[in-house]
Amino acid sequence: MFSHQQIRKPLLATFQQIRSKRTTAISPEVQKLVTQLSVLSAGRKQPRLLKLCNEDYVKHQIITKAWSQLRNQKKKSDEALLNKQLDSMSFACEELKKISPELYNLANKKEYGKRFPLEIRVPTEYPPRNIWYYDYVPPVAKDSKK
Amino acid sequence: MFKKQLFSQARSFATEVAASSSTSTTPITSVNAAIILSRTPIVTPEIPEFEQKYYQYQEELERRLMWTFPRWYYFKKGTVAEREFSKAQIYPIPKHRGVWFPKGVPDIKHGRDRRFKETIILPKKHQEEEATHASQASGAGDAQVSELEDVARPIKLNQRTTEADAKNDQTSLERQLSRTLYLLVKQNNGSWKFPSFQLKDNSTALHEVAEQGLRSIGGVNINTWTVSSTPAGVVKYGAKGEVVGPTSEGSTTEFLLKSHIIAGKFELQKNDNVKEHKWVSRDEIKELVNDEYFEQVGHLLAKV
Repeated sequence: MFSHQQIRKPLLATFQQIRSKRTTAISPEVQKLVTQLSVLSAGRKQPRLLKLCNEDYVKHQIITKAWSQLRNQKKKSDEALLNKQLDSMSFACEELKKISPELYNLANKKEYGKRFPLEIRVPTEYPPRNIWYYDYVPPVAKDSKK
Repeated sequence: MFKKQLFSQARSFATEVAASSSTSTTPITSVNAAIILSRTPIVTPEIPEFEQKYYQYQEELERRLMWTFPRWYYFKKGTVAEREFSKAQIYPIPKHRGVWFPKGVPDIKHGRDRRFKETIILPKKHQEEEATHASQASGAGDAQVSELEDVARPIKLNQRTTEADAKNDQTSLERQLSRTLYLLVKQNNGSWKFPSFQLKDNSTALHEVAEQGLRSIGGVNINTWTVSSTPAGVVKYGAKGEVVGPTSEGSTTEFLLKSHIIAGKFELQKNDNVKEHKWVSRDEIKELVNDEYFEQVGHLLAKV
């Protein structure tokens, strides 16, 4: 209060933080780092919290539930189909074994190094200009020189 | 649980069976190898209405909750690009003292009203303007080749429905690009089914018989990839040719093998048994084919 009085620091020193505008210039490297950090942080970029009224919340719940039910149904039907395909395959193999063991062995021969062919096309959102390659000609096997 | 089953079954498939002299009495002439030749989809599947709307809903939510676009990171202050970008944006109405905002007081940070989603307007590029001017000036002119080679040309999307869709040409491979098409063949008695071929002896594998048979009726210019030598399913026929249940003893056994057509064309050759062919999707097969046959075979076909 009075200038001649000694100001004693309290035992717990409190530090006051003051934020002020940058007055001195900073180097371009530091500026670059500052912009990068600002992009990564949410400061002043985050929009307001979305608050739904009761009716809107109920609508949202219904939509989410409908979606999850649809996904579960699809998963179940896909799994059921796969199981059916597996059963069909094993039954066919059993029948083949009964009919002819030679054919069964040929059918179950290990195909080492079998991969999808390179020519097979992955579906895209829009088709190519030439949709299908019709001019395929099978390769002619070269006769081996004896 | 399903995977464990798969591995145990795979092991049982792989074990070789000793060819004993006293095998079952069914002779080789009553065994057929049928081929399920499929044309995989060329285009992504059609999204149903509810799913489309759900994706739209989720996109809107994401847009509303997205952080403000950091233009100071992408456009350096003082550059022409930054000026053009800022000029293209619509600045929201800021809050004023004494003004009544019936729909709420604006809360603007970094030029974005925090209550709403941010809409970014892209400024028109110089090159696009130049291109439009150039095309107007030159007219029709240049050949299509140079247009296609131009790397800066605008992206033109091709149609997902083709002429074959419009004409409903069921023999075409370009129909229904988003679905899997299967090759169906018409038998002498008028019924439609997958092409099947009789086995002559024990020496050739089922998948080889099927592939060779396919070429005998469809010409050699077909590039196929057999999924596996193991049969995917089996159909049993009675004495008169009707489909018989899996448990009963049939006079003819038909093993189905899966294969994909990658290139080439199925050109119907002169044949005693096959006079017509079609490339149809699963739904169309269900209508064309006998119910008993579809019961045995339907689960092997893709729903998409």
